[in-house]
Amino acid sequence: MTSNSTLHILNKAPEHPRYQACINALAPSDTLVLIENGVLSAAGNQLHAPCTLYALKADIDARALEAACENLNTIDYDELVQLTATHPKIISW
Amino acid sequence: MSTLIVIDQAPYGFWTGREALDMAFSLAAFDQPAAMLFTGAGVNWLRKGQRPDGVGQKSAEKNLSAAPLFGIEALIADEHACQQYGLTESTMLPGVELVSNIRDVLGDHKHVVFAG
Amino acid sequence: MPNSLTFTLVITGAPWTSQAPQTALTFATAALSAGHSIDRVFLYGDGVHLASSLSTPPSDEAHWPQQWSVFLKKHDIPATACIASALRRGLIDKTEQARYELPAENLLAPFEIAGLGEWVEGSQAADRTIYFHGN
Repeated sequence: MTSNSTLHILNKAPEHPRYQACINALAPSDTLVLIENGVLSAAGNQLHAPCTLYALKADIDARALEAACENLNTIDYDELVQLTATHPKIISW
Repeated sequence: MSTLIVIDQAPYGFWTGREALDMAFSLAAFDQPAAMLFTGAGVNWLRKGQRPDGVGQKSAEKNLSAAPLFGIEALIADEHACQQYGLTESTMLPGVELVSNIRDVLGDHKHVVFAG
Repeated sequence: MPNSLTFTLVITGAPWTSQAPQTALTFATAALSAGHSIDRVFLYGDGVHLASSLSTPPSDEAHWPQQWSVFLKKHDIPATACIASALRRGLIDKTEQARYELPAENLLAPFEIAGLGEWVEGSQAADRTIYFHGN
């Protein structure tokens, strides 16, 4: 199944200007994946994404954010590859 | 379906914008359709009257003004960011298209690329 | 479900400044094991530092340039550092060393130095182009 929605890959912490620019650009049919410093937005309830949301497990584990990410869908690299395969359009922020 | 090169960092204090411009020029040189979007602090690229002699760099304004000659299809700027940085039509390079909704611009292009 | 896709990977984040080289390598490994192929790796901006043969981290730390070099050779994946980014930042191959009469060359094999045309071509030809940025 190939999706028409855009896959957004966000590696910026919430105080980075590009973080908010990415969040503002999300459409309800899009998919957002938080990687690297992007997963920090799960800490302290700062995250308000209007679309399907995933976070990369390796980056969550590294930062001891398992508890904060309890309600997020966590994915591994195999699943990240799968998301890039099903989304022809991908934006790395 | 063209490639949108996004500049969201100010000129002079960051190098990324110049490398973004190189990407746009390269696409055009290889006959691939390219447009540029200026957003956030990146809109400061568009200000008229830059005099960078004192900082030892080439003029970002002058480099950018070559974009139409190179075949860049459009220079697009985020209206809100322009307001934030006090850019008006009279203080801005000519030929820049202002947009209020970035999401639409991102949706119009097959590839959306930041240089770094 | 698309079975086998071609990927171009673009790395713009430097090692020891960002996570980009590690994220990209883990992604690349996962992409190959899923049956996809990687047509090209392109280093741009600060990302060219990944191609330095002189990086020498402490022996108990990950060596990103070496890990990438081994991976690229093993899977026979062409990898290019953008020439404009590389020369500015002191990443030099034998040809450029001779051209500019420089005292050394430091480009790690199998990385090569070439222009942005490689990126244009790679991103037009590949099914997916994925960017790995710094912060």
